[in-house]
Formats: sequence, C-alpha cells, structure tokens
Amino acid sequence: MTDTDRFDDDSTAIDREPTRERVSVPTEIELPRLLDFYELQTDNHTRIHAFYDNLREGRLTTTRCLDCEEIHFPPRIVCPECTGDDLEYVDLPHEGELYAFSAVRGGLPIGLREHDVPYVVAVVDLGPVRLSARVDGATHDDLEIGDPVTLKIVEIDGPTDEERVFYRFEPVPDGDSA
Amino acid sequence: MGAATRNVAIVGGGHAKWGERDATWKDLAQEGGKATFDAVPDIGPEDIEGLFVGTVQPERFAYQTHVAPMVAELLGIDVDAMIARTELACASGQAALRYAWLAIAAGQLDCALVLGVEKMNLGRERMPEMQGSMSNVLDREFDGVNGLTAPPFFAWYAQRHMHEHGTTRDQLSLVAAKNKNNAATTDFAQFRTEVDPADVTESPEIAPPLHLYDCSGITDGAAGTILMSEEKAREVTDTAAWIVGSGQSSMAGNSINNLPSFSGWPQARTASRTAYEQAGIEDPLAEIDVAEVHDCFSISEIIEYEELGFADRGEGGQFIEDGRSRLDGDVAVNPRGGLLGCGHPLGATGVSQALEITNQFKGTVPRDRLVDGAETGLIHNLSGSGSVHSVMVFDRDPK
Repeated sequence: MTDTDRFDDDSTAIDREPTRERVSVPTEIELPRLLDFYELQTDNHTRIHAFYDNLREGRLTTTRCLDCEEIHFPPRIVCPECTGDDLEYVDLPHEGELYAFSAVRGGLPIGLREHDVPYVVAVVDLGPVRLSARVDGATHDDLEIGDPVTLKIVEIDGPTDEERVFYRFEPVPDGDSA
Repeated sequence: MGAATRNVAIVGGGHAKWGERDATWKDLAQEGGKATFDAVPDIGPEDIEGLFVGTVQPERFAYQTHVAPMVAELLGIDVDAMIARTELACASGQAALRYAWLAIAAGQLDCALVLGVEKMNLGRERMPEMQGSMSNVLDREFDGVNGLTAPPFFAWYAQRHMHEHGTTRDQLSLVAAKNKNNAATTDFAQFRTEVDPADVTESPEIAPPLHLYDCSGITDGAAGTILMSEEKAREVTDTAAWIVGSGQSSMAGNSINNLPSFSGWPQARTASRTAYEQAGIEDPLAEIDVAEVHDCFSISEIIEYEELGFADRGEGGQFIEDGRSRLDGDVAVNPRGGLLGCGHPLGATGVSQALEITNQFKGTVPRDRLVDGAETGLIHNLSGSGSVHSVMVFDRDPK
C-alpha cells in the first residue's frame, strides 16, 4: 500500500483535517534513583550497612563467616562457602599493591561525567581480598604493577541527603611505604 | 555426560545490517527475522514451534521488556511449544542457541527460531548513558561504581598477560588487524575497512594498553537462525551445521575479588573440554577447522587460543605471530571478522557466529573467507567478567 492508497470502505474516507494539540514532556526530571551511581548505604536500604558505617568511620571492612571462617568480598549476608548467616565484620588492610591497572580516557559511564579524566582504575591486592578501585593522585604512566597504594575515603555529594562514602586508593607517598 | 539424545541442526539464517543504525530494537528484530526466513525459504513463521530471543539490555537500551512475545508478534509466529528471552550478557545469543538445541534434542519441538537482537547506540551525545548500562554488567555496587567499563577491565588482562607471559603489543595488533581484515568481505559487518597492524596503535588509546582497534564496537544489529530436528532438517537442506557438543562453565564468582586469574579463563578450558568430549574431539588444533571466538578485545582471542586448546598456556601471542589462526592457518579463527570486525550487538553475536559456521559448511560465504573443506567448527563466548564461558561444536555430519 502506498501513502495515497485508500481503503474502499467509505467509512474511512478522510473528509476533514484531524484536530491538533501540542503536548509536552519534561526537559528535566529528578535523577532516577537507579541512575544514581552509588547505592543507598543506611540500614533502611541495605543489610550490609555496617560495611558503609565502618567506611564512614575510616575503616575498610568485610564479612567473615563465624561458622567456616571464610572471608568474603564484597560483604555478604549469607556465606557462599557454607550458606551460614552468622557473619562478623573484620578489618581489611588499608594498604595493598597494584595487581593490575588501566586508565579510562573516554567512554565514561553516566554519573562520572563531571569527574576528571583520565582516571586510573585498578585491581588492588590487599592480601585477604582483591578488589577493583579508582586510584587517585597518579596517572597511568606513573604506576607499575606491585606499587603500594593506601586507602582513601571519598565523601559523596549527591541527590540524597544521606551521608555517603566510598573507598578509593592513592599511591603511598615516597619513603612512607611499610 | 553424553550429548543430547536427538540430533539437531542449524539449517540457515540471516542478519540485519550491523552498525550505528537509524533503527529501533523492533526494526532490527524484524530485519533479522525477515533475513532468516528469506535464507531458509522452506520455513516460515507458521513452522516455528519454539522461539528463543537473545538480548541483554532491552530494558536499558530500548526501555522494553517481555521482548520474546514482541518478536512473536512482529514476525507472525504463534509459538506452541516454548518461548523465552535469554540474558547472559555477551553470551546471550549462545545461551538462546543452547536452549533451543536442548528443547529440540529432548523432543519437545522440531523447529525453533533463535533470534539475537541488540540496540545499543543511543546517539554519540548519549554515550554516557550507554556506557553506564554496560558497567552494570559487572557488580554495580562494588565494581561498576568505580567507572569500570569493559575496556579497562580487559586492559587488565592484556597487562597481566604481557607481565606474566611476555605477550607483546605487536601481537595484540596482529589479532586486531587479522579480524578487521577478515570482516572486509562480511556484508553486514560494522567495520569493513582493512587495517595494517601498525594502524592499531595509531588509533586512539582507549584504556592502555588497548587502543580503539583493539576494542569491539558498540553495535546495533540482529541475527537469526533456524534450528531443526534431524528428521525435519533433512526435508529442507542437504548441508547444515550439526550441534555435536555444547559445554558451559560458570565459577562461583562474578566480582573482581572472586576472579582467580587476570591472565586466563579456567571456565573456557572447562566448557571447551565438555564440548570436545561430547563431540569426540581429542586434539582440537588438529580437528577443528574453523572457530568463531569471543574477541571482544584483541587480548581475549590470545587467551582463548590457550584455553580452547589451540596453544599452550602463555603461547597465545606466539600463535598469532606464527599465523596459525589465519584463514590459511591451522585453525581459521574468526573468518567472519569476529567482534572486532563485525561489531558486537551483544545478544546477536553468538547467533551470528553459529550462522558463520553454518554458511562455511554450506560454502555460501564469499570465496575470500571460505575455509576450504571445513568439517568441524566451534563457537565460543565469554560473558560478564569472564566468569562464564560457553562453547558449542558443530560438524558437517551428525554423529
């Protein structure tokens, strides 16, 4: 059927122009909750709030199973090793080594647009666990596998009134390494 | 564990054009469906008993869910046996193939359409929205939140493989150039411009040591295949790709702390050995003629040579340097052009790979990339943080 074809049935004959009305959609909306880059961290949102509570106090912690002693990361509410749910929070070292790293030069995810690029993102080996993290205070070319890095806490301003934090790392200053 | 009880064949299929498309998810699904039915003239929507749609993030890229019934409507398919959408990140298309295969092998149906569809490009100015969706493939709370998208993640593997095994930047470039050059004859491919290995490090640096040409595309696309039981397949074709082995392995780990290695993929080894055992393959390098593997980044293919049993551990770089994965090498790897050449519309990739093996057996691919006398083929996909690997083996003859 071409644009000008008509059905034979007279009831579909076009005998008048349709009415028109302009409607609008909002050009800005409140940031949708799930597009906020960071999770909500308090006890009314997550059962691993103790991880974030500890981090707010300057301690990087994770869960350990009291039944089988397995250490987890990320922190859990059920032990994946033995399915026990009697877990405690234990301190992780605040200093570790770069296991692998790269830098992001473009292709930023939404929510990071305002941050400086490039940024370094790394696998940090803390001994008991290995985690991914931003590494601040260094460019990619400054770094080598095995370099010592130390914990840094970032406090997050954002669309929620709740105090939120997250962990990053930064190089251990020269002469300061353990 | 033996292979399935009834023989199952991929009898043919087709592609939508891949790339940055001025088209919606629904447009792509219709193009892929039409191309598939056009390629298998004896089969139409009325013959389809099972429909399996592989797609990763229609909820984010197209704001649409319950997409398998949408495909049924768009293509006029009344599904009487099984309908499902599969999501396994970058292996979603292969997961769809696997379920269709099992359903037919188990005698639940005789004819299935497997359609992989992904709409990813939202416009260059909306790249952060697209990239944000991609970082959610990892554990969003602890990994994605670090601005960890796919390029830096796979850059770690390149860095560690170079560190542990002496793999060189030039060897990465050889993989990228091979696959992009293979794609020159692939009519639906996103990137059909031939490149020299030296061009790879001249392309923009994305996440060191990876450059743009080391990375697969952000691709809109679709691919479809028809799978049939042996009895029905024999009625429509003389040449098909018979599924003779299918393995899959997933570790109890998805986030960074729980990945045992950043230079290897134990699950690829496990999945391939399962598939080889089912297929009766003892020496994959000698017995597999053509392989479509998941080269989401150049380093991935080098690791896959090792884990799939084509090269010893740490020797993947030498394998490409010696030309052993070229079209005229010991095993033709990614004749279609791989993800680096064709692009990577996530849910469509595995389906497209299987269709390439089918068309290699049929001899319907262009002469320039035809692997002469190919009898046995393989597809491989990793997904997410590489914690899951899927391998499927095909043969010209059902065993």
